[in-house]
Amino acid sequence: MATLEVNGKTVDAMPGDNLIQAARRAGVEIPFYCWHPDLTVVASCRMCLVEVGQRQDDGTVNFDQRLQPACQLPAKPGIIVRTDSEIVRKTQAMTLEQLLLNHPLDCSICDQAGECYLQDYSHKFGNEKSRLQEPKIQRKDKYHIGQQIALFTDRCVMCTRCVRFTREVSGGAELQIIQRGSTEEIDVFPGHGCNDKLAGNVVDLCPVGALCSKDFLYSKRVWWLKSQNSVCPGCSTGCSISIDQNEQQIYRLRPRENPLAQGHFMCDDGRFGFKYIHDERRLTQPLLRGIASEIIPRDVVCSRADDLSFDDKWPHTMDTLRRLLRERIGKTPERSIALFSPFMTVEEAFLLATFLRKISPRSNLAMGPIPVVGENDYYPKFPNGSSAPADKARFTIRSEKCPNRAGVAWVIDHFQRPGLGLDEVIVRAKRNEWDTAIMTGGYPETWVTADFNSAFQSVTLLVVQDIFPSLLSERAQIVIPGGSFAERNGSFVNHSGLVQAIRPAIRSPGQARPDGRIFWELAEREGLFDPVSVRREMAATIKAFARFANETLEPNGISLTDSVRLSETKAAVANGSSGSTGAGS
Amino acid sequence: MSDEFEPVLLRRMGRPNSEQLETYLADGGGQALRKAFLMRPEELVSMIRESGLRGRGGAGFPCGLKWSFLPQARTGPTYLCINGDESEPGTFNNRILIECDPHQVLEGIIIACYATGAERAYFYLRYEYGLCYRILEQAIAELYSAKLLGKNILGSGFNLDIFVHRGAGAYICGEETGLIESLEGKRAWPRIKPPFPAVEGAFGKPTVVNNVETLACVVHIVDRGVEWFRSMGIPKDPDNPRDAGSYGPKLYTVCGHVNRPGIVELPMGITARELIDNHAGGVWKNRTAKAIVPGGISMGFLSANELDTPLDFAGPIRAGCLGLGTAAVIVIDDQTSMVDVLYNSCRFFSHESCGQCTPCREGTAWSTNILARIRAGKGQLRDLDLLLEIAHSMGTIPGTTICGLADGAAWPVRNCMAKFRDEFEAWIAGGHCVQASDLVSSH
Amino acid sequence: MSELSQEIRDEITGLMDRYPSRQAVTLPALHLIQQSARCVSSKAVVELAEMLELSPAQVHDTLSFYGFFRDETRPLGHKRVWFCRSLPCMLRGGEELLAEACRRFQVRPGETTSDGELTIESAECLGGCDGAPCLLVDDMLVLNAAETTLATLSEGSK
Repeated sequence: MATLEVNGKTVDAMPGDNLIQAARRAGVEIPFYCWHPDLTVVASCRMCLVEVGQRQDDGTVNFDQRLQPACQLPAKPGIIVRTDSEIVRKTQAMTLEQLLLNHPLDCSICDQAGECYLQDYSHKFGNEKSRLQEPKIQRKDKYHIGQQIALFTDRCVMCTRCVRFTREVSGGAELQIIQRGSTEEIDVFPGHGCNDKLAGNVVDLCPVGALCSKDFLYSKRVWWLKSQNSVCPGCSTGCSISIDQNEQQIYRLRPRENPLAQGHFMCDDGRFGFKYIHDERRLTQPLLRGIASEIIPRDVVCSRADDLSFDDKWPHTMDTLRRLLRERIGKTPERSIALFSPFMTVEEAFLLATFLRKISPRSNLAMGPIPVVGENDYYPKFPNGSSAPADKARFTIRSEKCPNRAGVAWVIDHFQRPGLGLDEVIVRAKRNEWDTAIMTGGYPETWVTADFNSAFQSVTLLVVQDIFPSLLSERAQIVIPGGSFAERNGSFVNHSGLVQAIRPAIRSPGQARPDGRIFWELAEREGLFDPVSVRREMAATIKAFARFANETLEPNGISLTDSVRLSETKAAVANGSSGSTGAGS
Repeated sequence: MSDEFEPVLLRRMGRPNSEQLETYLADGGGQALRKAFLMRPEELVSMIRESGLRGRGGAGFPCGLKWSFLPQARTGPTYLCINGDESEPGTFNNRILIECDPHQVLEGIIIACYATGAERAYFYLRYEYGLCYRILEQAIAELYSAKLLGKNILGSGFNLDIFVHRGAGAYICGEETGLIESLEGKRAWPRIKPPFPAVEGAFGKPTVVNNVETLACVVHIVDRGVEWFRSMGIPKDPDNPRDAGSYGPKLYTVCGHVNRPGIVELPMGITARELIDNHAGGVWKNRTAKAIVPGGISMGFLSANELDTPLDFAGPIRAGCLGLGTAAVIVIDDQTSMVDVLYNSCRFFSHESCGQCTPCREGTAWSTNILARIRAGKGQLRDLDLLLEIAHSMGTIPGTTICGLADGAAWPVRNCMAKFRDEFEAWIAGGHCVQASDLVSSH
Repeated sequence: MSELSQEIRDEITGLMDRYPSRQAVTLPALHLIQQSARCVSSKAVVELAEMLELSPAQVHDTLSFYGFFRDETRPLGHKRVWFCRSLPCMLRGGEELLAEACRRFQVRPGETTSDGELTIESAECLGGCDGAPCLLVDDMLVLNAAETTLATLSEGSK
């Protein structure tokens, strides 16, 4: 560890820190545009210039005449950094004045306003006004950069983060700099837009309002957005994200840096994959069909998400559900099956499994369908067709298109040994061996095929908990409208055994409820659903989750894999390459 | 003293067929290479270090020291890049050397490669030197035929290939890491250092970049010895620990408002006045010099009363200039407006700024626009302070940019404001403006 | 149909041995292409990028940095003449010579005469300062250029 001094404050730097990072630890902000911890250092914006010196034997400090880019200098022991001297302040102000020379100052209509480093640094480090007398250069906006990306060319500060990203991380090298000197601009080659699955990251990387997301464009001023930490459910990579919402409407997802998960980025499938949450086909009302003479009309079940004219069907639904499950499973537990979705949180899976097993230890639990698409997708992918090997990948989009197979599998594995594979469940369904079936969904798209549906034709009590209608929910005796990931509280375990928290960013539509609350109430637990207490309980009972006991999941989650290895579980520890359709098989 | 000086680098200039290998060998060429092969590479490096040879490309970095930066234990290839991107306004000595005596340069290259262990050399030549390109290709072909290139040169066991790589019109390729980027097929954006090219240069391998004239000097140091080289020029200043001295012969070029523009080889340290009066036929049209550029436009200006400044590595610095640069002297007569001169200088750097660092990319363009406005009769006195501040931010404060281009852009402004400010003030106060016709080509 | 002829492709491939990376062939290849086609078309960029295992944007990034290459919307004339206007040439009439050339050939700097013969360019220092003002005709320097030189330019191009 290196101890250095920044503006008179002593600070311990971490290994690998540059002077920007070291100064940050001392509470000193050094402004920068081009530097990004996950891209090569180019030191070209010159915003981070500082004075650097060494203490002499007589105690005086000898500062280099030469200003140094803080991004480029490793934090070495004994370095003395000065960022508040006149020369540094003047240089920062001049660089800002120059970056703004041809900037249109159109903050009033700029998406970035409110989270723009030109605004922030001008405020903190800039000159009061520009001395430019010449007309500004006006450059054309470029909507052709990508299907999801627009470039407001005259707001660009030429930090080249976006270009470096496409060359170093995504690999396709679709972005380029054209021309040179003061006429240079960012562009793509005509007909070769920036459209790969990591393209959207260049918008996050852009420190100013130059690269904008077409999806988000002009839709909301950012200061109205509230962010909630969560995890992308799109694949088993489990990218840490922020959900940005306003008045129950999600406007965008952004990657949240997490060195234990994905790093700094996320893929566009995940980034733009949240739209289903606001789909008007969402299930919004609980339904009892053909039970106790209470039949609820279909059009009410499928009412619009914003339909608030409901009467509360929950108390009756929950009572009925609880009663029927106890009756049925209590009588013939071996003829009952519960399918657990890999979109459930570990807490939800634990609550449901505990409830069912309490009725009878002979009730059956199994993993529902695991959506797998293609192979793992490793980046960078270079123009010559080569891509990074798995161990050198800068980013991986996994073929397993769900967030929590591993976590749910561990829960089931704890309760059901030997495990029951989905294939076997279906075979037995076709042999009419199930009377009672509980199906949990939560998949972002249709997951019930006609074959799957018909396999369970003979089930006499079908309970479906889901977010979208399906062939199953169309005929189920009990339909429970659950929540999307953005509405729930709990945790997901990713491919590597990292468990991360998801937090509710919005309320569920209509009468739909977060699943944790549903299962909590089903089990007649006291008080409000509390995922932390569930986790404590899990730590005490399941070896794989032992670390739940004394570690918080904030902010980056904790790795469970070591404790899993200690346990003797036979559950498939998700390594991301598995294409299995069931757990414990 | 200069009258008796017998040129070494230019000794074969003007001889018939001087570009041919046959005449080169007949004139005694190739001796140095034979001597070099009798030495160990590290002996050659020491020899060049001891000679005090400083790079002739503009920065004046000690050549032997540069070679010695190559890692001692290295595996894999080492490259020599020859910097023939000569683009500094006023500079043409490399062109003359290649056109008149390519084999002298190539001999220097072979020796330098042997000394540094480079088995491949890339001769980066600016595209505009088409004649040089053809002469070099011919000369290299002759060397291969004579087995002075290729495998096992002169039975030394040393192998070498030389490839000529043509530029495409960018001044910044003369900056050594810009050159390397350009060689690699990228935009010529100078690299941040470290790593220095000696450790990680072209294609990620240890690389030395040397100027054409520097390599020509190497031949004669090996041939005639260190003492011969050190007998010429200005010894290092004992009071200045940073001064490495200015030894050996130097090619001075003189152009602009003189009667006989041209090139002359002289020991380091001749004064600007001697150069103009004794070697360039004096200022043209019986005028006097108002200002001279001491070594390519980026070095700034000497005023009329600074013409006795010796043109060694240290002299122009003492007179407030950036340095000796390429020793390319441009003479500006007393009828020329410094406003026009500075505008021309700023426009050049704006055109050639690579666009990587903010202060240079924006500062060069902004300065040019301000000067264009002043020339158009719309200047204000406060523009002069602004010009100075912009220059300060991009070049005068050390470290504000990655490479030295911005320093070169800043120094002419700085010198003009220090030495010719009256003229700018008079221009602005007098409401002067250039004729519309003069502006036709300025866009 | 391929934009790059087999001949040019062979030449480009032949250059690959000279460099440890394919990208390094970019500049020499662009020179070859522009020499034969008087421009580097978008299609040529795409095909070259494929040969060099780069994205078209990478090739174009390099191409556009050097003020030397033209796309198909602005192909070069039969002859390209650069007029130097840097300080040494400016001091000896370079700007005036360029202005005169523009008048004479009825073009602005960067444009090509209507008969497609002559492209006039303004240049920064060409390295012919001992013969200022100087011109560059394609890649050959013409020193001590004067108005009489302009006449030979149009003669030669007819």
